[in-house]
Amino acid sequence: MTSTEPMNDDDIDADVTDRMLLQRMSAGDRVALGVLYRSYHGRLCRFLSRLTRRPDVIEEVINDCMWIAWQKAGNFHGDSRVSTWLMGIAYRCGLKALRQHGDEPVEGDISSEQRTPAHDLDDEDRELRDWLSKGLDHLSVDQRVVIELVYGVGHTLDDVAVIMQCPVGTVKARLFHARVKLRNVLPALAGESPMHQGNVP
Amino acid sequence: MTFLRHSGGDCVRAWDTMPWVLQNSATREQGEWLEDHLAHCESCRTEFAQQSRLRHAMSLPTDISIDANAGLRRLLGRLDMPDAQEAPYRSRPRHGFSRVLVAVVLVQALSIGVLGVKLWSASGSPLYRTLSQESVPAAPGTIRVVPDATMTLADWNALLHTLRLQVVGGPNDMGAYTVAPTSATSAAQALQQLRATRGIRLAEPVAVSP
Repeated sequence: MTSTEPMNDDDIDADVTDRMLLQRMSAGDRVALGVLYRSYHGRLCRFLSRLTRRPDVIEEVINDCMWIAWQKAGNFHGDSRVSTWLMGIAYRCGLKALRQHGDEPVEGDISSEQRTPAHDLDDEDRELRDWLSKGLDHLSVDQRVVIELVYGVGHTLDDVAVIMQCPVGTVKARLFHARVKLRNVLPALAGESPMHQGNVP
Repeated sequence: MTFLRHSGGDCVRAWDTMPWVLQNSATREQGEWLEDHLAHCESCRTEFAQQSRLRHAMSLPTDISIDANAGLRRLLGRLDMPDAQEAPYRSRPRHGFSRVLVAVVLVQALSIGVLGVKLWSASGSPLYRTLSQESVPAAPGTIRVVPDATMTLADWNALLHTLRLQVVGGPNDMGAYTVAPTSATSAAQALQQLRATRGIRLAEPVAVSP
C-alpha cells in the first residue's frame, strides 16, 4: 500500500536530527529545545490553524506540546518518527484546548500583524489559500486534520492513525469523505464549475 | 460520487493512489502505473490536476502568523517557573466550573442530611403492615361471627346496628367476620344475643392474648 511506504532519505535524515535533539533535551539542553521549537513551529502553527483560528490558542497549544516534549524527551523510545510523535501530542493538546475554549468564540479576531504578510504569496496562491480556507470550513475537525496531515505535512495513513490514535480504516474513511467534499465545495481548485464535476451524495 | 461511481476499478485505484504519488511516498511502480493510467483517462487526469492544486494549497503557509521567538521565550520562562512541574492547562481558569460543581455537591449533601434527620425524627408507626408482621392483636370484646349464607345484607346491618357492633375484620376464607362493640355495650351480652339470633351460625369471643 502506498500509504505505508518506508521513509525516504530526507525523512530519515530529519528524523535522525530530531532524535538527537530529543536526546539532548532529555539531558536538559535548552538550546536543543529551541532548535526543535523553531524547526516545528511553522508546521505546528499551520496544523493547529486547521483546528482553531485563534492565534492565542495556537501558541498556547504549541507551547503545551513542546513542554510535554521537553518533559518526555527521555521516554521517547523511537516507535515512530519524532515528527509523528510530536504531531500526536499537538493533536491531543489541540483537542483539549478546543474543549476548554469551547464556550468561547472559536473564530478569534486576527489582527493585521498576526496575518502572514500578503506579499509573500502571489495573487493566485492567495486566492487559492482563501478558497481552501472556505472549503475546509465545510469539513469536520477530524477531516481537516487528516487532510492537513496527508496533503499538508505529508504523513502516511499509518502515521495519521498513530497521531489520531484510531484505526487506519477510520483514517481512510475520513480522508475519502474529506476529499469528496472538498472536490465539490472548492470549484476554484478544480478550475471549473462544480456543475461539471459530478455531485457527492 | 459521480467520478468514482461511473469509473472502473482502475479509476478507483488511481483515486486511492493520487495522494501518495503527490507526496512522493508511492513506489516507483505505483507512480508509473498512475502515469500510464492518466495518459488515457481524461477524468482521472482532471482529478489529478485538482488534487495537485489541493496539495499545493495545503502546503501554503497559514495566514495566521505567530512569532516563534516570542513563543519560545514564553516556554523557556515557563520552564523556569517554580511550579514548572505542573501539568499543562492546570493554570487555566476552570475555577468557575469547579465552583459550580462543588456547590452542587454541597447542596446534595445538605439535602440528604435534612432528609435523614426528618426521617429519623418521624414519630408513630408506619401506615402500613408487612406480611411478615404479626397481626394486630384483637381488642377486648371482639367477637368472631359467621352469619348464615342466606342472611341478607339488610338483616346483617340491622343486627349490627341493634347490637351496637361494627365489623373490624373479615370476612375470612370461612366467611367469618370480626366485630367489636362500638360503645360500652357489654360484649358478653352482645355475644349472647348474637347466638340467639336466627341466621347466625357461629358467634365466639376472640381470644385475647395476655
